[in-house]
Amino acid sequence: MDNRSNWHRIAYAALIVIVVLTGMLVSNAYHLQLLTFIGINTLLALGLNMLMGYAGQISLGHAAFYGIGAYTTAILTVHYAISPWLALPAAILIAMAIAYIVGVPTLKLSGYYLGMGTLGFGMIVHILFREWSGVTGGASGFIGIPPLELGPVSFSSGRNYFYLVWAIVLLSLIICRRIIDSRLGRGLRSIHDGEKAARAVGVNTGKLKLQVFVLSAAFSALAGFLYAHLVYFISPGTFDFITSIRIVTMVVIGGMASIWGALLGASLLTLLPEWLHSFSEFEMVVYGLILMSVMIFLPQGLTRGLMDIYERSKRQPDR
Amino acid sequence: MSDRRDSRTGSRPLLELEAVSKSFGGVHAVRGVSFQLTPESITGLIGPNGAGKTTLFNLITGLFPANSGRMIYEGETTHKVCIHELVRRGISRTFQNVELFESMSVLENILVGQHSRTRCGMWGSIFRFPWVLREEQQARRNALALLEFVGLEDYAAQKSSDLPFGWQRLLELARALAARPKLLLLDEPAAGLNIVETTQLGELIKKIREQGVTILLVEHDMSLTMTVSDKIIVLDQGVKIAEGPPREVQRDEAVVKAYLGTTG
Amino acid sequence: MQEVLQYIFSGITSGAIYAVIAVGFSMLYNSTELINFAHGEFVMLGALSFVTLSGPFQLPLLPAFILSVAGVAVIGMLFERLAIRTVRTPNPIVLIIITVGASIFLKGVGMLIWGKDAHTMPPFSGHPPLDIAGAKLLAQSLWIVAILFITVAGLHLFYKKTLTGKAMEACAISQKAAWLTGIPSKFMVLLAFGLSTGMGAVAGVIISPITMSSYDMGTMLGLKGFCAAMLGGLGSLWGSVIGGLLLGILEALGVGLVSSGLKDATAFLLLLFILYVRPSGIIGSVEVERF
Repeated sequence: MDNRSNWHRIAYAALIVIVVLTGMLVSNAYHLQLLTFIGINTLLALGLNMLMGYAGQISLGHAAFYGIGAYTTAILTVHYAISPWLALPAAILIAMAIAYIVGVPTLKLSGYYLGMGTLGFGMIVHILFREWSGVTGGASGFIGIPPLELGPVSFSSGRNYFYLVWAIVLLSLIICRRIIDSRLGRGLRSIHDGEKAARAVGVNTGKLKLQVFVLSAAFSALAGFLYAHLVYFISPGTFDFITSIRIVTMVVIGGMASIWGALLGASLLTLLPEWLHSFSEFEMVVYGLILMSVMIFLPQGLTRGLMDIYERSKRQPDR
Repeated sequence: MSDRRDSRTGSRPLLELEAVSKSFGGVHAVRGVSFQLTPESITGLIGPNGAGKTTLFNLITGLFPANSGRMIYEGETTHKVCIHELVRRGISRTFQNVELFESMSVLENILVGQHSRTRCGMWGSIFRFPWVLREEQQARRNALALLEFVGLEDYAAQKSSDLPFGWQRLLELARALAARPKLLLLDEPAAGLNIVETTQLGELIKKIREQGVTILLVEHDMSLTMTVSDKIIVLDQGVKIAEGPPREVQRDEAVVKAYLGTTG
Repeated sequence: MQEVLQYIFSGITSGAIYAVIAVGFSMLYNSTELINFAHGEFVMLGALSFVTLSGPFQLPLLPAFILSVAGVAVIGMLFERLAIRTVRTPNPIVLIIITVGASIFLKGVGMLIWGKDAHTMPPFSGHPPLDIAGAKLLAQSLWIVAILFITVAGLHLFYKKTLTGKAMEACAISQKAAWLTGIPSKFMVLLAFGLSTGMGAVAGVIISPITMSSYDMGTMLGLKGFCAAMLGGLGSLWGSVIGGLLLGILEALGVGLVSSGLKDATAFLLLLFILYVRPSGIIGSVEVERF
């Protein structure tokens, strides 16, 4: 137990060192933005991993909460000229409230039906972004979202924004770790291992599932907020079904039930399309093939899958 | 010894079933079953396969509601009360096919068992207030004490699925005790155990009762049921056909015909 | 009144297409308990290969129809053999991601072969539209509805009357039991994939004359077909037909009488409604575990 938390402390420290060094060494604005995107995607994957990896509940509509976070801050800061720092809690609270309302009936479903319910919800929110043009700017999108500023510090520069996002990522990793290691986290994991037994030992599974659904919506909305103030322009296409699937993929490829898996999955899936640009028109074909192969050969995700392979290769020479 | 038992019969029953029935589709799994459980007693529930024992267990633990009849626990009805609420009120159980949380360690399984006795929530776990840390430490101490009680204290850090089967049963028992139950329901706790393990289990069950826990036991192993139980209830095809001390029940004609006769 | 009738006609047309797609979903779910997120891409493949065969290759309609459906069915079976059967841990999340990966892959293949442009197709026959109580009914609509009923009736007979069909139904109830009685259950799964993706291609063929066909047409059609299948009760053949037609009509009425923004939302609102109220679908009888 103590060993494990020591290990996590070392990992946090390593992450801080890497982030600080990267921020100092990387000066290319495009690269910095890409690294910032990794941070934002990590938040998305982390939130969904709490729901999927730990509580065992799938969601195919998480892009909705991502979009709700982005659109809420866009509407509040542009239409109502509210400070982004006030829009942030508003964005998170609205996403949480919607998650609560949607979660009550939806989380009663399980398996494919839960997947379908969340998918339907995600599609409806996406269509709302697209069709409610008076408020959201419709299909052409929403422009003019202001940059973030905190007193004398402006986050309009790529480097400052990079630091801001990764500081939030680090904080979120610690928060998730603490939740998982607590009574609440054990309750969540018990649902994943066996809902019947979890209920029999006194875990209020319905309430816990709803809580973690709302929590993961909050992380997604936070990511949406950071996304909106990074690129100043949002459009419905960013928050569609494919994005929901991409978040699920980050969680699964990185490795479920692992906060570092979320970081790994988000990094890979953010960098993969960049690398695939060199395939130009073959991009989609290769992307699809990689997704399928990883799931066929390493269904546990890369973290667990590669560890298994390593252990097997270590054992091989003995025989 | 007999004095103690007499004083017990005078007290109010811990659990009281009145004409409880449950059917699935057209199948009557339990029909008009009534009985009472005296506090700090051990009751054996026996009957041939399909007699409705497990259904009765699921009714008492609130997995599904009864179609008719009443269940009174500590003077209050349990009709349509959530399972976690029943656990908080002191009804705990084990499963016929051991249902441990396999991805968790032995210790963590017991910690989950204390879910209803601890209260740290979202904010508590994020901010780790002093009371949360105290609660966590206390929970760990309790868990280790329970592991010691069932003899698994040396395996606290092991993954629960790595334990041999007999120990998994003990772990599940300890997990059920972690909820500090007043009423403990054991669903075939000796299934899959060898003779030595079964004898040890019998001792353990008696020790649990000495701590003031009332026990309802479903068991195929007659030697265990007959030695530990104060009272035996016999079900056949959803109906209670006999109730009494082990020796009387063994002589009961209806029981011999319905149960001992068919299996022997 | 005349307007409403017109909406209903166009609703039945698109509804029949949703129905064909929904039947594909249902058949596969019945035999494998799998939901194929790539199903819409098979619709796309069917539509585009039909356009190519009857256009540039100048095949008559019927051979083009048969060839494209058969070709897509073969691709579907290859997909089962190469991807689905090799999965070691077939849990829903893994299978969902694999089929999504296949969907992206097939979309990429579609783009490579047919480019990013939309392709069009003349109607199956040159008949003028029928005039019924002032509303126009396109000849193509009649073709679509007729093909829907012919294929579904054919499938119905296949399941009820042929040995292979009955064996497939047995597999759907219990793969293990079916295997024990000597039914080659692996082959049945392969066949289910072929039939299901073939139905997807049929939907693509009949939709090609009334809409633009392009590499990215599949996703939305697939999702709506899925909603229709849920609406009628996943796994039920005739339920899917009813679900599809109902979805088409409600969608057309929603667009005509309320707002065109509602078009795509209708399917998903219905999906949520049915999941919350009656997850077994309108005529489904399967009990769904809700806890």
